[in-house]
Amino acid sequence: MGGSLFAKIFAWIGIVYFTLMAIGIGFIHGTGISLLNPDADNKIEFPFEWINENLIYAFAYWIVLRYILQKIPIVNIRQLLLTPMKKSKVIRFAVNRTNFSTFNLMSIFYLVPFSLTVYSMGDLDSNKLIFWNVSIIAIVYITNYLNIILNKRDSLVFIFAGVLILFRALEYWDFLDFTVYSKIIFTSFYNQPILVLIPIGLLAYTYYSVIRYFRFGLYIDTGLQVKVAEARQDDFKFLNRFGDMAKFLRNDFRLIKRSKRARNTALMGIGFVLYGLIFLWAQDIYGETMLIFGYLFSTGGFMFTFCGLVPSWDSQHYSFMMCQNIKYIDYLKSKWYLGCLGIGIATLLASPIYAYFGLFHFVAIICCGVYNLGLNSYLTLWAGAFTKSKVDLDSMKNAMGDSKAFNSKTLLLTIPQMVVPVVVYLVVSKFFTPMTGCFAIGILGAVGVFFRKPVFKLIIQTYKTEKYSTLSAYKETN
Amino acid sequence: MIKFNNISKTYSKQTVLDVESLEIQPGQAFGLVGNNGAGKTTLFSTLLDLIKPSTGEVLNNDINVRTSEDWKSFTSAFLDESFLIGYLMPEEYFYFVGELRNFSKKQVDDFLTDFEDLFNNEILGGKKYIRDLSKGNQKKVGIVAALIGDPKVIVLDEPFANLDPTTQIRLKKIIKNLSKKEDVTVLVSSHDLQDVTEVSDRIVLLEKGLIIKDIKKTTKTLKDLESYFTKE
Repeated sequence: MGGSLFAKIFAWIGIVYFTLMAIGIGFIHGTGISLLNPDADNKIEFPFEWINENLIYAFAYWIVLRYILQKIPIVNIRQLLLTPMKKSKVIRFAVNRTNFSTFNLMSIFYLVPFSLTVYSMGDLDSNKLIFWNVSIIAIVYITNYLNIILNKRDSLVFIFAGVLILFRALEYWDFLDFTVYSKIIFTSFYNQPILVLIPIGLLAYTYYSVIRYFRFGLYIDTGLQVKVAEARQDDFKFLNRFGDMAKFLRNDFRLIKRSKRARNTALMGIGFVLYGLIFLWAQDIYGETMLIFGYLFSTGGFMFTFCGLVPSWDSQHYSFMMCQNIKYIDYLKSKWYLGCLGIGIATLLASPIYAYFGLFHFVAIICCGVYNLGLNSYLTLWAGAFTKSKVDLDSMKNAMGDSKAFNSKTLLLTIPQMVVPVVVYLVVSKFFTPMTGCFAIGILGAVGVFFRKPVFKLIIQTYKTEKYSTLSAYKETN
Repeated sequence: MIKFNNISKTYSKQTVLDVESLEIQPGQAFGLVGNNGAGKTTLFSTLLDLIKPSTGEVLNNDINVRTSEDWKSFTSAFLDESFLIGYLMPEEYFYFVGELRNFSKKQVDDFLTDFEDLFNNEILGGKKYIRDLSKGNQKKVGIVAALIGDPKVIVLDEPFANLDPTTQIRLKKIIKNLSKKEDVTVLVSSHDLQDVTEVSDRIVLLEKGLIIKDIKKTTKTLKDLESYFTKE
């Protein structure tokens, strides 16, 4: 199929891109040139000290990121239990496979060029530097195995993320500077190469803890059992005001509450509210126009991430939905309401944050919100008809690695979603004022709102023609 | 009346279903038997417009299932676990189906009292989502939900498989009672010849997508069918 080939090429381009990025950033960091502000004045004088100061945070972020994104091997163990292989071999096989995860490889791709650059530029001792590298990579692998254990205990990661935010805040307001301690700890791995034994020892310990953990938990009723939460009925009575839509919206709210994958997607969508800040702080590099790009995500994050997976959220019971007394228009309208609700909340959250930076940003946020409401919401739903990836509601892994979710048609649709408003802004603000540029985007969105009926007709038609292939795609087991 | 006109389904040269003509009268208890891959599920799927047939059309009470959605208001089905919404509790699922079929909460509650025996205290008032129920209990939920809201056409694919003996007997009773109603058409498929002969008054035998036998049930139907399958 053309689609899957495209997805494969896309995935490989992604891998090559990130590898090159890791290597490139490693080199640049090694020279001490600031990425955000590449002026000579901002050059970091001692990159090696700088990295040691920041490593503590790097590892902390790594652990949280791994928790969210990295697949763990437990699921695959089940099928191997009945094969004529020794249990310990099965476990080691599954655990060792994580050694080649992108997270570990990227760290190495970054560290090696970094070390080579700092070595060539400064007066560091090569042997000591090698030992330092071994220590750091050992710690990277400790986080790798920690992740496997942490995955079984959700609350731990939230505590961890909370502490991380607290540390950052304390440092931001100058209460405590953790970089000082970070520097002392990690520089000592360079100064005293013998200390490499500590991370190596810890690594061995975590590795064997993971193995032992599985060794004794390797029965489907203990370690491999999926935790079952006690169920409680949720009626979400406030949704009744949505009339006919209420019954569908209620289920979507239950979905978000009860499915890990849906919950994380929704949270991620809300997290996007802050996305605009990146473009705001880095305006010198990206320029003003890219602000619009950021603000579209700030207000539409939930709509893009969550509604982008309509109808995949219903993939596990799509045949049921198709046989019930449900009109397409009601079904799609309820999803559209949900998306609009998301845009509304995100805009509401974002406007005070960005209004802090000035009236222009406030107007830009509102206008981007309107554009999302009036145009992007339809386009996202429409794209959904072509996104035939099955969503496993019960596991949150694979949330990013779903290559099927990228197909040429959905990718093409990002042009009107993202490129058009940015270009409109660029052109209008060039000839008039930036503010007018925002209004132009807002007007486009407002006009879109009035075209709901004919647009929905078109979307429904697409859903109908795609129905059979969607059904058969959802039937496929991965 | 349900009419299959010249329905066939071909996947890359392999024909899995080829039914020239099949008519099912209202009120009939229709049984479908056959080995794996005989085309039973495919036939039901074309009736529910879940599969696009390669040729022909299906009429459900004169409504072409592919061009109109009106048949959905009087037709219900349980084919497999993709008819369940795993993250709902059984009650929530029943109420949702009730809402879709214009049944109030109260009506659903009343309706469910008839199934207390079948549920055996394992379904209602529990603290589990459907995804955490056992396979057998999931099936019970799906089948009972398919009966909510007085549907006129009920399609059940392999309803007896995976159920314990007590439940099988109770379910057979329920299906027999349903098909006593004159305007309700029940379509059931099964591997088990005895189950299917017990609940149906007409039996169609499918083999490699073709109708081999189409018989009205008599006392010797079961023998007939058994001898057909032992012959091979």
